[in-house]
Amino acid sequence: MSFVLKEEQVENLEKILNKIIDEGGATYALLTDTGGNLLCKVGENSIDGTSLAVLSAANYAATKEIASLIGEKEFSLLFHRGQTENIHFTRVAPDILLIVLFKPYLSLGLLRLKVNSVKNEIKDILKV
Amino acid sequence: MMAIINLREGIIQVKIVYYGPGRSGKTTNLVYTYNKLKERIKNKLSSKLITINTKGERTLFFDFFPIGLGKIKGLDLKLQLYTTPGQIIYNSTRKLVLKGVDGIVFVADSLSSRREANIESFKNLQENLSYYNLSLSEVAMVFQWNKRDLAEEGIPILDIEVLEKDLNSELNLPSFPASALRGDNVFKTLNVAAKITVKSVIRKLLGSNGDEKMAIGG
Repeated sequence: MSFVLKEEQVENLEKILNKIIDEGGATYALLTDTGGNLLCKVGENSIDGTSLAVLSAANYAATKEIASLIGEKEFSLLFHRGQTENIHFTRVAPDILLIVLFKPYLSLGLLRLKVNSVKNEIKDILKV
Repeated sequence: MMAIINLREGIIQVKIVYYGPGRSGKTTNLVYTYNKLKERIKNKLSSKLITINTKGERTLFFDFFPIGLGKIKGLDLKLQLYTTPGQIIYNSTRKLVLKGVDGIVFVADSLSSRREANIESFKNLQENLSYYNLSLSEVAMVFQWNKRDLAEEGIPILDIEVLEKDLNSELNLPSFPASALRGDNVFKTLNVAAKITVKSVIRKLLGSNGDEKMAIGG
């Protein structure tokens, strides 16, 4: 997949990510490819999105290796719980990861529903 | 999967990976570059240097930092620099760092005793690239013959001709004798690597020859 992101594509992706924040209650959402290239991000600006993208891609790859070690193809749920912030990783397309930050009082199930509902929209925009 | 051009932000994002045998000085290259750039452009570094180390100060995962500088065809150039763990046991992580790579700096160890390790690592690079259906001819690459300073301490090192013959005889790519510890030729290596990487990326993505001028740091 070659990658020139058009202005309109980025705007549409941001709209979708904003939906996860406005309707899903998340605080931050980011899209990266599995090589660690940040595609776009919305939400709290203080977070270093570039580093988050790179580390998330590495984390995803490492987790995938763990899965294959124990005979799984991949884990469908990848999620870390913190004191004040939770983080949720989803592969939304073959080479695209969606990373969402949300507060611990928010239900993980609801967030996952929201994330699942936007998967196809993201795929459509990226044409993957 | 390769470099990303984001027309909204006006950036072109390129991934350069430092590859080579364990302890050849890949991390030293990155740390030197990072510190020098930090001195020079202070607040303009867009990210911290991320290092994920094991106890023995060996890179387990990667070191990483992005530098944003210069403009290419009106787009801001953002280089993402990575190292791979050199140790044989970490091949799966090495493989994943190569995902989406646009350019490679192969850091060879000049120590005489590391001749085999260099050759081994070079073969391993070819194998790992082929995992992503890439070959050396498709990826922009330069060589760095590191640790040249050891000669002054009377430690036996490989002649440059030997290194060239072992690793670069077929490819005939740009190569630089260097001392990452002292900083000799560190920027020179990166500069040329960045230049040919951007050129190849632009050729692939935009179909032009990408003959733009650019320079990085010292």
